[in-house]
Amino acid sequence: MGSTITYSEHQLVSLLKQRDNKAFEYLYDNYSGALYNIVMQILGDVDLANDVLQEVFVNIWRKIESYDSVKGRLFTWMLNITRNAAIDVLRSKSYQNSQKNLSISDQAEFDSGGKTSQLNVDNIGVRKVLEKLKSEQRVLIELAYFKGYTHEEIAEIESIPLGTVKTRIRSALIQLREHLK
Amino acid sequence: MNINDYISSGIVESYVLGLADEAERTEFESMSAKHDEVRAARDLFELSLEKQALVGAVMPPANVKAAIFATVTQTGASVADDNIADQGLEKSTAASAGSTGSSSKSFSQSADVATPARVISTSGWAKYLAAASVLLLVGSTILNFYLFNQYKAYSERYVNLLASQTQLANNNRALQTSVDTYRNTIAALSDPKMSIIKMVGTKVPNNGSPDPASMATIYWNKQSAEVYLMVNNLPKATSGKQYQLWAIVKGKPVSAGVFDINPADSVLKMNNMPAAEAFAVTLETTGGSESPKGAMYVLGAI
Repeated sequence: MGSTITYSEHQLVSLLKQRDNKAFEYLYDNYSGALYNIVMQILGDVDLANDVLQEVFVNIWRKIESYDSVKGRLFTWMLNITRNAAIDVLRSKSYQNSQKNLSISDQAEFDSGGKTSQLNVDNIGVRKVLEKLKSEQRVLIELAYFKGYTHEEIAEIESIPLGTVKTRIRSALIQLREHLK
Repeated sequence: MNINDYISSGIVESYVLGLADEAERTEFESMSAKHDEVRAARDLFELSLEKQALVGAVMPPANVKAAIFATVTQTGASVADDNIADQGLEKSTAASAGSTGSSSKSFSQSADVATPARVISTSGWAKYLAAASVLLLVGSTILNFYLFNQYKAYSERYVNLLASQTQLANNNRALQTSVDTYRNTIAALSDPKMSIIKMVGTKVPNNGSPDPASMATIYWNKQSAEVYLMVNNLPKATSGKQYQLWAIVKGKPVSAGVFDINPADSVLKMNNMPAAEAFAVTLETTGGSESPKGAMYVLGAI
């Protein structure tokens, strides 16, 4: 960590595009914790989360050219890469299978174990804010944001009309913004 | 659509959090290019999101960073810099020449590869990723079992620790209680109103004590009626028997309680006695008697 330099976002991005190692280290030291948190919230498994975070940062390094500051902040771009990577793992066959394997061996015990590891991260970030929403809205954000389901899939899972899914998610998001302030 | 309605429709959050669909994204991007208000609302939400996320940061283990930097410094070099890419090429030529493969083949390979320097790295990457993903696939099941077992081992250890912790706490409480008892006893004994009565075997009438060398001491506070007994010398009680202390009140024996000889209790608190002329100890059947039946060991008059 050691370095005490701070970069403006503009400087940071341009240094990253020049493959500056120091800038990348700065990026890691400042943002890995926040991104790791979101991976943990989605996967709830330390070793998987470590792998995903590793993949995420390697991708950030490789794909920094495709970051376009016109479309949003660097953190937002990284957050979306991170969330997508974690959700890819969550919805991958191997992850689903490993969950099945576990459920055969000892569902009950693993469930309680899984939950405790998730509790540690429940009280921060978007999830903390989620607590303030109505349960019908919370479920939808949980499915859309943390599980990565499309609106169509959610409509099917919850057996509610697609239009309702969209309006509920939108109104939940508006409240989310208020609570994030 | 009114621009403020658009901003407050939830589209900003939806876009930033990656929940908007393709059409919504395209629309939002053109809206934010056109309207400063839209962009300002987006910036504001992004900032508050980033702030919240940084507050909730959970640092990953240090080996993750090491692994990332090891990978990145390799790929970074070959992607960024042509010179280094050339170096990489030399290395790969050297490597294949070093292996048993024919040198002409390795030359043609390197020639194919030489023109687009980037291709080397990406195909190398694809291979690496493919290999990694296979490993991940195979490893994840094993890993899950491993983690599950680890979790079980840890929870067992936790339960054991908890048990020994409770044990320690109980011991501590027991010690605390006996310390408190000693403290109270010492406080009582040091009271100036405390009178000391020596009971000895030789005072027992008619040389009746089974062990004339027996001796015990009474500490008696007449004001508070508290009676403490210190056993100086009494033979071990035979089984089924217990010593009993008596106060002689107006010529009649009144029980002041039974006791065992326990080296841990140097001073025993007996039943309160508001008045007495003498104290005596007899050996009775366990539990004590209403009036003394057994042999008298010691006697002491006030």
